[in-house]
Amino acid sequence: MNQAAVTTVDVSGANALMRLTAKVLPVWARQLASSRSQSEGAVAEMLAAFAEIGPHLDMAARQSQQISAALAQGDGGITQLAQACDQLLKPVLPSCTPQAVQAITQVMAMIHACVDALESVAKPFERETQMVGQQVERMYKGFQYQDRISQMMTLLHEDIERLHATLQAPQPQVDAEAWLARLQSKYVMNEQREQHANTDTPTTPKPDDDETTFF
Amino acid sequence: MAQTILVIDDSASLRQVVAMALQGAGYEVLQAGDGQAALALLDGRKIHMAVCDVNMPRMNGIEFVKAAKALPNYRFLPILMLTTETQESKKEEGKAAGAKAWMVKPFSPASLLNAVSKLCLP
Repeated sequence: MNQAAVTTVDVSGANALMRLTAKVLPVWARQLASSRSQSEGAVAEMLAAFAEIGPHLDMAARQSQQISAALAQGDGGITQLAQACDQLLKPVLPSCTPQAVQAITQVMAMIHACVDALESVAKPFERETQMVGQQVERMYKGFQYQDRISQMMTLLHEDIERLHATLQAPQPQVDAEAWLARLQSKYVMNEQREQHANTDTPTTPKPDDDETTFF
Repeated sequence: MAQTILVIDDSASLRQVVAMALQGAGYEVLQAGDGQAALALLDGRKIHMAVCDVNMPRMNGIEFVKAAKALPNYRFLPILMLTTETQESKKEEGKAAGAKAWMVKPFSPASLLNAVSKLCLP
């Protein structure tokens, strides 16, 4: 193939590529915008539901704490009161009639049975509310990933639109290195920088990411 | 009376998450979608603290901190920057502007409430 033919093929290939990108870039941009909007809508729905149940979860946790405190409290706690009754009655039991001793012993056994029953309900309730509290904490963090995803998608959407606009020029001049450097300068998260550099480092935010720096 | 916290973020879902965490702990919450909208809320009312994103349209978080600090009534308003931004240079910018703390999202409610309890005006 002679030089003139090669040039013709290159130009025609480049033109075809330009026509393709001119048509496909707006489609990509719209798809990205739609994905972002749908994920935002879904998270808004979940948050609305979460806002409804949140106060009830808090109330259950508070009630669990109150019940546990009422049982365990040193002075005036239910368990302590039952034990205090035992201590008070112990010295007077020898002076009581056998019938009175039997009645008192039965009453005390019933009181202890009540306390045991309360404890057997309160302990699992406390464990359950603690578990729910831990999961709620995870949900709070999970909801925030939508914000991160949205920021990443917005940046890509804007970059696609900019590329489309640039390619509309009669003689588009695109410096790939400059383009990438500009894109890189817009990143705000480590994941974006790591993905850009294609490094093997993990992209999942570390658990201690929310550590606070006080000035 | 409950303390009032101004939450500024362009993401409605993020504002809602922050608001839920704060309201659950008994704080009152005001919300704004960017720095400019937040400035409009600094109209003399008592605000005990602000929790502010960094990257926002119209007026970003750093600009908001500078503008708020220039208002006599809000000169001492403690501002916590709550952001996905992890660059040290940005953190330094926030500090220089007058922010009191920097927390990276995603946050846990416990960490947020701990920071708020340390910074919130009485």
